[in-house]
Amino acid sequence: MTARDPMQAGAAVLAAEKGLGLPVRLPVIRVRTEQGEVAAFRRETGSIGTGDFVPLTFPFRWLALSAIRGVILQLLGGEGFVPVHEAQSFVYERGLQIATDYLLSVEIEAVEKPRRLILKMAVATEEGEICARLETVLRIVQLTSEMAS
Amino acid sequence: MIEAGEQPAPPDWPKAGEAIETGNFGPFEAAALARYAAVSGDDNPLHLDPEAAQAAGLAGLPVHGMLLLACFEPLLMGWRRDLFIARLSAKFLRPVLAGEGIRIMGRVLRSQAAPRPELILRLTARAPNDDLVILAEAAVLYKTP
Repeated sequence: MTARDPMQAGAAVLAAEKGLGLPVRLPVIRVRTEQGEVAAFRRETGSIGTGDFVPLTFPFRWLALSAIRGVILQLLGGEGFVPVHEAQSFVYERGLQIATDYLLSVEIEAVEKPRRLILKMAVATEEGEICARLETVLRIVQLTSEMAS
Repeated sequence: MIEAGEQPAPPDWPKAGEAIETGNFGPFEAAALARYAAVSGDDNPLHLDPEAAQAAGLAGLPVHGMLLLACFEPLLMGWRRDLFIARLSAKFLRPVLAGEGIRIMGRVLRSQAAPRPELILRLTARAPNDDLVILAEAAVLYKTP
């Protein structure tokens, strides 16, 4: 799982570091539903194969792309903080096909009391047609000092 | 997932109140969490490092919420193969720890046959001690199997 443009990661992290007004909107990321990655994901999640379409929760794995992960790590607040998944939604206009390129739009908002990150992603075809929208809510939890040190 | 079409509802289209077949998933052992981390990219130490889990106040490694939520699609597709899952929203209410499994149940909240066959489903996942761990809602459309 790799972002096609490695420069995107740096740009996004820079935006977070500068403390630009949130939500942070990342540059569009090109992703691909690689056949091998879909098959491995299916094996570990017990997803039932439905033709040429990827499992419903598969796009969540794009949060681990360096361009997105870097911003999440910046917004977490450093060592000793971890995200805890609190809520998740998927809305599909159409299924995502295997071995296909898509464009990913990502917006990350940090909120307080309690501290949370709200991530909104939209997956679109190269022609700009929206296929799916995801919303992820991560609560930020501080580990005890013994672990954080 | 397959595209939904504009077809009339089949004769056996579920009615409001109808139950969805219960499904048992897991138990999810630590090795399964490590494998899921590898295929999903979610290598949050909470799920993989007992010390991190303990430092977060947990008695064991919590199973990835998304590994649990991934079980909902096979449950629904096992119930009926003629569905397109248009929406799935979930709240993770309590951690499921490594070694535990979940039981997913569901019920049709609303059923529409026309103009476009659609169901609104209430779904829940419970831990072995019957604690509610995930509360979810799905909107599904009819598609030709």
